[in-house]
Amino acid sequence: MTPAHFAFSSTFTLGLMGLTFHRTHLLSALLCLEGMMLSLFIAFALWTLQLNSSSFSIAPMILLAFSACEASAGLGLLVATARTHGSDRMQNLNLLQC
Amino acid sequence: MAPNTHTTLVTSLIIMILFVLARPYLLSLLPKEKILATLRSLTVKGVLTAFILSLPVAISVLCVEDNAFAFSIPWFSTPSFDIFFSVKYDLYAAIFVPVALYVTWSILVFATSYMKGNPKIDHFFLFLLIFLISMILLVSSNNMFQLFIGWEGVGIMSFLLISWWYGRADANTSALQAVLYNRVGDVGMLFTMAWMATNLNSLELDVLFNNAGNYNLTAPLCGLMLAAAGKSAQFGLHPWLPAAMEGPTPVSALLHSSTMVVAGIFLLIRFSPLMDGNQFALTTCLWMGALTTFFTAVCALAQNDIKKIIAFSTSSQLGLMMVAIGLNQPQLAFFHICTHAFFKAMLFMCAGSFIHALNDEQDIRKMGGLFNLLPTTSTCFTIGSLALIGTPFLAGFYSKDAIIEALAVTHLNSCALLFVLVATSFTAVYSLRLIYYVTMGQPRFSPLLAISENDPAILKPLARLAWGSIVAGLLITCIFTPFKTPVMTLPPLAKTIAIVVTVMGLLFALELAKQTSKQLKHSPNPFTHHFSNMLGYFPLVFHRMAPKMSLYFGQHLANQMMDQTWMEKSGPKKASNTNESASAALTAAQRGMIKTFLTLFLLTSVLGVLIVLF
Repeated sequence: MTPAHFAFSSTFTLGLMGLTFHRTHLLSALLCLEGMMLSLFIAFALWTLQLNSSSFSIAPMILLAFSACEASAGLGLLVATARTHGSDRMQNLNLLQC
Repeated sequence: MAPNTHTTLVTSLIIMILFVLARPYLLSLLPKEKILATLRSLTVKGVLTAFILSLPVAISVLCVEDNAFAFSIPWFSTPSFDIFFSVKYDLYAAIFVPVALYVTWSILVFATSYMKGNPKIDHFFLFLLIFLISMILLVSSNNMFQLFIGWEGVGIMSFLLISWWYGRADANTSALQAVLYNRVGDVGMLFTMAWMATNLNSLELDVLFNNAGNYNLTAPLCGLMLAAAGKSAQFGLHPWLPAAMEGPTPVSALLHSSTMVVAGIFLLIRFSPLMDGNQFALTTCLWMGALTTFFTAVCALAQNDIKKIIAFSTSSQLGLMMVAIGLNQPQLAFFHICTHAFFKAMLFMCAGSFIHALNDEQDIRKMGGLFNLLPTTSTCFTIGSLALIGTPFLAGFYSKDAIIEALAVTHLNSCALLFVLVATSFTAVYSLRLIYYVTMGQPRFSPLLAISENDPAILKPLARLAWGSIVAGLLITCIFTPFKTPVMTLPPLAKTIAIVVTVMGLLFALELAKQTSKQLKHSPNPFTHHFSNMLGYFPLVFHRMAPKMSLYFGQHLANQMMDQTWMEKSGPKKASNTNESASAALTAAQRGMIKTFLTLFLLTSVLGVLIVLF
């Protein structure tokens, strides 16, 4: 595995683990999600260069745009959580807990 | 006189003695009210009459050839075993009974004054009477069954009399202690009875002595020694005797100094023909006695209760009697029993007089200067103490000195000799300590007490026992021909070793008494004092440890090994516990927490990647 390959793979994995193992704040999950998106963006950017497929050059831009939409959706969810539960602490999101 | 005359005289006198002693008890069974009030004087008169009647019996026994009268009536007969009612009034019984009756008579007269305020005083006298009858049954029996009846009788009366003031918790625990320790000894007695019944098919002592040569006698003798250790408070089974001082002073004077505690020694004296050849039994008796006399003399040095000090001196003298038996000299032990009865009963009665005069104060640290206030009692106390330590030509000298001389010339372990000599010197030390604290110096009690000894019911018995303490030794030496020849020539040190050791103890104690008003060290060394005061920590450790271990063990066996194992650790409760913990673990993962979901998602994706790649 090339170093660049390893770099974004590890970034993606670390971000995924941070998303699943978040402890207190929802915001940290969203931040990890953004980290994942960033690593995917780097992956797409390197795809065109490494694999010489120039028809895939538009992919990173589309990913970036969709990532921005998704980030804003996530932030909207965060604001809604803060409005209903008072904070973004994970332990307050226990409606489904038995 | 011809033997037939003797027999008639003795038989009639013995029957009269038994009747005279039993009369108050039989009269008490009648429902008439006014008899109860006269029981006191009836008992006293009965015992006096019995004493006077027993003297010709003793003289007859001395005149007759074998020095014994015996008779035997069949009692129970089963196809395989017969029990007789057999009495052997030999020299031992014939001399012990007058001594015991004389001492009992004095104590009963004393008790009429000491227990005066007590509404149940007539019951008290009846208890003492039943005790006396049991004791006489014990010493005159020729049959182990009858001896056992007397043995148990004195044990039960001891229990009832120690807990006379049964409202007091200490009295109840002391009575229980007495019964339990005696019971441990009774196991030995029952073992010996069973051995005799199975091996010799009879419980008669005559049969035993005739046929004993064929058997190995170590087992029954061990049983007898255990019985004697329990009843006579030898080391290991000794704590009940000082605790028995919870009973009233007449009880202490009669039971726990003169009569009941010598029952164990008397048993060994009766069986001494068997112990003659068995060196193991003799050595065990010697060591048991030496250890007892030394240990209890050490414990007596730092006690503060007047009755406890006298109780420990009793225990020490019992050890000395056991040493005499261990030296194969049962007659010397018997001699010491008789002389010891006089001065020990007198010491207890003097203590009772002191306690009564000081309004029930028993602590010697709060007595003092009583020589001027209670002169007769103090004088008798001093006479008794001098007799106890073996002052030449008082009663105790004849028996105690004989035992120590025999100890000095016998081929035995010198450590046992050392123990006994040190205990003899300690006897002098604690006797002097007692006299110093009680009769000398300045009074340490409130001057408002009305101290008097005007009651003739106290003074006359004291005087009688004082005369007994002085002349009894001489009298008994003159009547007895010793069975075993005493050693006639000794080196001067061996002959006088008892006196030398006693005088050294007295000088040492005088020196210590002088130091009570000075302070030579800046801080005391409490180690030896605490060891002695707490009775060597023996009751502290064993009375707690033995029941705790038994209860602990019982709990472990019954509760934990059986119930808990079968029900909780392996049976139904195990199933329910397993189910509960399994379901608790499972539901912990299914609470609806987001983290659980996401973790599972990650795990699954990692797993999938790994499977695809490898």
